[in-house]
Formats: sequence, structure tokens, C-alpha cells
Amino acid sequence: MYIIQTAFNGVISGVIMTLPALAVTLLFGVLKFPNFAVGAMMTVAAYLAFALNAQLGWPLLAAALTAALAMGVLCIAIDQVTFKPLRERGGITLMVASLGLGFILENLARFAYGNAARSFVIELARPFRVADIRMNYEQMITLSVSATAMLLMWFLLSRTATGRAMRAVADNPALALVRGIESPRVIRWTWFITGLLLGVGGVLIGMDRALEPPMGSNYLISVFAAAILGGLGSPLGAFVGAIIIGVVSELSTLVLPPNYRIGVPLVAIALVLIFRPQGLFGQPYIRK
Amino acid sequence: MISFIILMSIVVCFSAILALALNFQWGKGGMVNFGLSGFYTLGAYAAALLILKGGANAFVATVGAMLIVAVVCGLVALVTLRVTEEDYFAIVTLGVGEMLRLVSLNEDWLTNGALGLAGIPRPFGASVPPEMYPYFLLGLSLALLAFTYAALTVIARSPFGRLVRAVREDDVVAATLGKNVLWARVRIFAIGGAFIGLAGSMHSFYYQYIDPTQFTNIVIAYAFMAVIAGGRGAHLGTIAGAAVVMVLLEGSRFLKDAIPALNSDQLAAIRIIIIGAGLIALLIWKPQGFLKEYRLRTEERT
Amino acid sequence: MRKTRRDIIKTIGATTASALAAPYLNLAHSQGAPIPIGVGLPLTGNAGAYGPDMGEAARRTAAMINAAGGVLGRRLELFIEDSESSAAVAANLTQKFINVHKAQACIGYWGTPEGMSSRPIAIQNKTVLMVSSAANAITEGDTQGYVWRFQMKATDWGIVIGRATVDKLGFKSVGIMGLQNAFVLPIMTEFTARMRAAGRTVTDSLIYNPEQPSYRAEVERIFGKKPEAVFCFGLLPDFVSIMKEVYRGGFDSKVVALSIMADAEGKFVQAVGDKVAEGIRHFQPMPDLSAPGYKRFLKLMGAPADRVYLFPPNTHDQIAITALAMERAKSPMAVDWSKQIIAVGNGPGEQTDDVVEALKLVRAGKPVNFQGAGSTCDFTPNGDQIGRGMGQWIIKGGKSVFVEYAKP
Repeated sequence: MYIIQTAFNGVISGVIMTLPALAVTLLFGVLKFPNFAVGAMMTVAAYLAFALNAQLGWPLLAAALTAALAMGVLCIAIDQVTFKPLRERGGITLMVASLGLGFILENLARFAYGNAARSFVIELARPFRVADIRMNYEQMITLSVSATAMLLMWFLLSRTATGRAMRAVADNPALALVRGIESPRVIRWTWFITGLLLGVGGVLIGMDRALEPPMGSNYLISVFAAAILGGLGSPLGAFVGAIIIGVVSELSTLVLPPNYRIGVPLVAIALVLIFRPQGLFGQPYIRK
Repeated sequence: MISFIILMSIVVCFSAILALALNFQWGKGGMVNFGLSGFYTLGAYAAALLILKGGANAFVATVGAMLIVAVVCGLVALVTLRVTEEDYFAIVTLGVGEMLRLVSLNEDWLTNGALGLAGIPRPFGASVPPEMYPYFLLGLSLALLAFTYAALTVIARSPFGRLVRAVREDDVVAATLGKNVLWARVRIFAIGGAFIGLAGSMHSFYYQYIDPTQFTNIVIAYAFMAVIAGGRGAHLGTIAGAAVVMVLLEGSRFLKDAIPALNSDQLAAIRIIIIGAGLIALLIWKPQGFLKEYRLRTEERT
Repeated sequence: MRKTRRDIIKTIGATTASALAAPYLNLAHSQGAPIPIGVGLPLTGNAGAYGPDMGEAARRTAAMINAAGGVLGRRLELFIEDSESSAAVAANLTQKFINVHKAQACIGYWGTPEGMSSRPIAIQNKTVLMVSSAANAITEGDTQGYVWRFQMKATDWGIVIGRATVDKLGFKSVGIMGLQNAFVLPIMTEFTARMRAAGRTVTDSLIYNPEQPSYRAEVERIFGKKPEAVFCFGLLPDFVSIMKEVYRGGFDSKVVALSIMADAEGKFVQAVGDKVAEGIRHFQPMPDLSAPGYKRFLKLMGAPADRVYLFPPNTHDQIAITALAMERAKSPMAVDWSKQIIAVGNGPGEQTDDVVEALKLVRAGKPVNFQGAGSTCDFTPNGDQIGRGMGQWIIKGGKSVFVEYAKP
């Protein structure tokens, strides 16, 4: 029973990571660099939602959606100021810039709200039981929000012109250009969707625990591990990777001291790099 | 005030060594190290433990710390034997760095856990009169900085140094030319690691007490800032960059008196925001930094 | 009113007289150079809330002593600086106090990292270090009589909480979880030993890291075994996340914590809401509010009679004990007066909680037993303070209600 409960808890931890993992993989597919600011971007979005929810008294749903939209727009703006001028300098430069950006964003949150732990204004509820497994209301919200977001993403990528353009740019930017796909527009869309995903993801993390400035960057290694395990660039992979990392991390506490849980994503990355660099669902990556 | 300036100069020395090490790995070799604070922690703990539990003297402990960090860094570089994509490598270093910091926090039997290691003896503490000690330590730090500078400069100008740059510019071409790129990457990262270990040892000797709270990820931002400001690949520039970053950081403490409305959490946040913004601004507008990398100037002779 | 010539002459005469008299008056009150004392306080950083009041207590205590003639006929001069709640900054401060200001006493030092990083420097330079930190390690090993704790030792926290659990709360089975932190671990060890000795079941115990993405696994492991009560020792941010998880997990073990987690000046209840906080008990070392020394301290601070100061009374006591020990040793050098700390703190001698009165007695060559504001100022030979107690509160309807005060 305890094992099943722990595995279920792991699924929840994994589901919380699906949206940021998707954001990482999407951005990597189109722009070819891992964004180390994803954690801090989620923190900022969570605090935006906190400002609307706890300080202005909005319902959390409205606050979360507004914060996610704001984050989408903010991501486009950040790209224009930070990444666009560096686009031609290669992935390493973009990566270092994203590290700097992460420090800026996390500390903007710290500047505004300090280090104290805060929470959204929502009524916490006691759990209910299904076949003796404890589940709660917020976990159901997390599950349904993530599932909805995944479906929308699938629809977007496979059924819309924008989504197809994004995939084309991801596969081969030069060819996409030749075929008349306007890549600046695709990049803007990619950032906007990344922002939406991170915005919703940040609020879900904030509901799961307390709001603190490092709340997002704590997830950084796990989220990258999920995306790499699934295969960087593969949306389905990001989803599966996140669930695997979540479940294995929680189950590892049955045999390992819980304070080394971070070792699970790390070992996952190392194994993938050594045995299957393209990840579970990624295309074998051929350079040059 | 004089003593404050001396203490500051010592801190600048070991920051500069750390920045030179990063400059070698990233600036020269193109290997991004986002686990810098973890390796720095490892160096500091290795030196302290070799003295406190191993009974080594300061010299042996420092050399030991350099070797240990070099070996760990070399092993990390080996993980990337199949992919040489920097993206993956950066994520691996971030994870390993975090793991090293967790070990320093959780392995009580070895590291004393959150309590930290106290009473780390100073090098030659017994033979130098206490009132002269800060001057002595400054002299020692300057000597070690000069040693680091000389060693890394010699390596950079050697045939291996040219291979390092070739790996940075295009590892596929280097491999096509029959160079063993994997082995080169392991050596680049290990050599840089040795000097991170040196900087970590000096941190231990300076503070005489280390605990996990002293080694935060902010170190990474400072070091990258120093390298970028100084010009990727340029040694003298990196030292100047480290000095400027540390003086700005320490100087900003005086802001507290100037702007009493801000509390120290906010000031600390502003400091890091400025560092992050400076980093991005330099990448955009001054990507070569303020000093140029040394190159054999063959084109001028022809 | 127009000044007459006579008035002016009178004024000049008075001024001259006082100017002439001034050096002699000074001589009577404070002869020679002032005695420097370094005060390192968390004015900012994560403990920044506590420093300012401690600084005010230090200033007022020193001013009171100086007004009554100082120590050894010399004035006390305080150098109050910000430790930023950081080990590295505190170490730099201690170096500065000792090497620049030539201080023979460094006092304040709220947290364990600050105390630990300054300890070797103080011992090396034969200077007294007085701390307010709890971790056992501060006074362990050979301190050569230079390190003194003005706080309850962490082990004693475990003793008081353990006794309250066995005698009053009567929990049969307990789960224990603690943050990986220097002062929490000795509390946990002692508390666990007490529970076992009293024949209570410890269902499970674990240590968790700060800044984790979530605490789900830890909560599941400890609360999942359904102990009657869970004792959680940590800090505010982790406790907020843990309690949300506990409530939503539907666990109903009672929760016991420390006040820096479950109260933190109301920040905890504000973050989790009344429902989650209901019924949590919390403990914290505090002065005996009914002691005459504490009441005198409130007057010194100009504070209302119901004000609870946790740490500033310790700062007052640190300066008082320093002054008394110096006066008794007839020397401002730590090598000499550090040996008199137990004599003035523990007695035997006349009991008094007034430092000015105590100084007069010492000057007259009489033995004293100083009773401080934060505690009775009794010490063990290795520098631990004994005789300090803990308060216990329970959260009801979003407010902390005082339950009792107990000593180890």
C-alpha cells in the first residue's frame, strides 16, 4: 500500500514537471539552446499570480491565467532584449545569457517579496480516498490542467499552421526559410507558448508548496533530466520523461535517504548520455 | 581601513584564480562549467579535511585538493564521451555541482554536515607573528595567483594549448585532423579543475571555517562575469575582471548606508540583478571583453 | 531680557570653572582611553529581524554603565556592526574588532554559523567571544575559557521539549523530522533519546534538506506511520511547505515545532491560514518574564510591561558580565578577566540584578552573584549557560496562546 501511495505521489510530482519540461524541449527544438532561466521564469509567474490573487483578491484561476498570459508576453520581450541580439553567436552564449537572466528574474522576485514563504489564497482541503490511495483536490486540478495543456499542445503542433511552422523550423531552419516560413514570427510564437507553459507550471508549483524565490530553480535539474530523458526536442518525450523522473525520484526514497533524491535525475542524465544520447523519443542527432 | 584593503585583496586573489580556472575551461576550451560552486566546495573541503583529519600540512593539502578536484572534473568530462554538445555538458556540470554541495551538507561523518569544519590552521601560522599575518597571507596569495597565471599561460601557448582552442572552435574539424578530442576535453576540464581546487583551498585557509552555506550558486555568476568582462581567453583580462567584480560587490555594501530604505535582502538581490544584467550586456555589446586573447600573430609576419 | 554685564561675567565664570573642572571630573569618572567592545549583530539577512533590538539593548546598557563611572574608571566604547547573518561576514568582523579596534570582548553573534566562524579567531587572539547561538559545538572542545554562550544549549532544548512531552502532553508514539542544520540536530538527538528512555515509541525519524522542490516523500514517510504526534525541527520556509502537505494529505498526528518556525512573528499563520495552523504547539527559549532582572531590563529599554524580548536581554547580560569580570580582575585584558566570569555570574556573593549596583560592590571588594535580564547568568566551566528556560505555546484560532514556562 505504502509503495502504491508513494508511486502515486511520484506521478503527481512528475505531472507538475511536465509543463516546464515541455517548455524546455519546445524552446530547444526551435532555438537550439537549453534555457537555464526556466526555473526563475516560473518563480516570477507564480509571484505575478500571487500579486493578483493574494494582494488584489482575484480568484486563483483568473490570476493564474492572467499571469500566464503576462509571462507569455514577457518572454517575447525578454527574447527581443536578451536573446535576439545573441542569436548568431551560438548555443553556448545563449546558455550563459540564460543563466544570467535566471539570476536577474529570481532576484527581482526576492527584491519585491523577500525570502519569507507565502501562499496563494485558496481553501486547502482534506483528501479523499480512491481504492485506499489518498488523493486531493489540488492534485486533481494539477492533473487536469496538465492534461489539458498537453492536449492543446498536441493540437497546436500537429493541426495548426503555426505549429507546423514551429516543427519545420525545429527540423531544419535553413530549409524552413527557403520554403517561405518566416522564422522571427515562429520564434515569437515559441516564446509566447513557452511563457504560457511556464506561467501555468509556476502556479502549479506554488499551489503544491509555498512560494519562495528559489521555488522554480529547485526544479531545474529535474526538468532538464525529464527533457533529456524524453529526447530534447520531443514534446511526447518531455511528458513521459517527466512522469518517469517524478515516479523514480519518489520511489527512490524507499531505499535511499530522501535528501539525495536529486541524484535520480542526475543519474538519469548520465545514463542517457552514455547509452542513448537522443533520449527515449528523440531523433538521433547528426551534427553538421 | 588598511587591514580591510589587505583582506579584500586576498579575496580578490582567490576569486581571480577561480576565474582563471573557469577561463581555461570555458574561455579557452569552450567547456561550460555551471557546477563551479560545487567543485569550489570540493576543493575547500578536500584541503580542510586533508589537514584536519589526514594530518597533512598546508602544502600537501593544497596539492591534494587540486588533484582531487582535477580527477572529479576529468570524470565528469568523460560522461560526455558520446555527445560533445555543450548543452548536455552544462546540464551535467550543474547537476554534479549540486550533488557535491549536497554531499558536503549531508555526510556528517566526513564533512561535519551543516556544522561545518572549524579551526582550519593557517599556512605557516606558527612561524609568522599574528600582526604580520595578513601581509604574509596577501604575499602568499599573490604568489599563488602569479603561479596560476604563469602555469595557464604556458599551457595555453604550448601545442596542447592550440589543440584546446581547436576543440573550442570546431571539435569535428579537430577530430577529422586525427586529434583525440575526448582525451583533450578530459584534460582541459581536469586542468581547470586543479586550479578551482587551489582557489577552494585558499578559501579554507582564509576563513579557517567552512560550512555549506558559504558556497552558493552566486559564485558561478561572479566567475562568469569576471571572465566575460576580462575577455574570454585573455588571462590578464580575467584577473582584472575578477578584481573589478569583487571591488564592486564589496563596495556595494556601502550602499546600505546611502540608501537606508532598502534592507539587506533587497541589497543582496540588487547586487545579483546588477551582476546578471552586466553579464548579458557584456555578452551583447562587448563579447570580446576589454582585453584580447593572446594569439600567435602569424598573419603580421607574412 | 537684556543680559547685564554681571550675567555675562557669571556665565564666563561658570564656563571657566566647569572647563577647569572637566578634566578632573573625567578623571573621576573614566580615566584613560575607552575600553573597546565589538558587537556583531544580525542587523540584516535571514535573522535581520533580531539585530536592531539587540543593538539598542547593548547601547543602553553601556550608556548606563558609563553614566555610573564606567569600568576601571574608563568608558566602554561599543563598535556595533552587521554580521548579515553570514558566517564569512562574521569572521571578517571579528578580525576587524580584534585587529583594528583592539577589542578584548566580541559579543552578539546570533546564529550558529556566525559563532562557529568567529570562535577560532577569538581563541587564537586570546579574546572573549560571547554568543547567542544554540549549537552544542560552539562551546565544545578546548575553548581555553574564551567562548561563552548566553543562550540555552541545543541539547537542553531537547531536554525541555522531551520532558514536556512525557509529563504533560503524554504522546505514546512520535515521529521526528529535522532540517539538516547545525543547531537542530542536537535537539533531535536529545529528544529522541528522551522518548526512548521514557518507553515511548519513535515510529520513524529523518533529516531533510533545505530548499527542496517538495517535501511529499518526507511527509509520507513520517506521517504515514500514523504516530500520535510528529515533532518537526527546522525553519519557517520548509515548515510552511511541510504543513500544507500534511493538511492536504489528511494526516491527523498532532504537530510540535519551534516558535521560529510556527510563529515567526505571525508569518507562519499568515502563510498557511488558521485551519492548517490550528493546534500546533511550539517551543522557544525565553527569559523568565517574572524575574526582577527582566523587569528592570524592560524599564531600561523603555518598553511596556508585557513586551517579550527573546534575544536583547542576552546582549544586556553579555555587557554586564564583561564589565563585572573586568572590574573584578582589575584588568581590561581578556587573558585576566575571562577567568572571573564564573565568579561574578555564579557567585557565591550578594545577589543583584542591577549591574551598576553590582559594579559598586565589586569595586568595594565584595563578592557578587549577578542575576541577568535573560537568565540568572550561571555558567558551566566550559562556557555553557544554565538556568535558562523555554516557553511553550499552542496555536488557537490563528493566535499563539502561552501555555507554560519550564527550565531544563
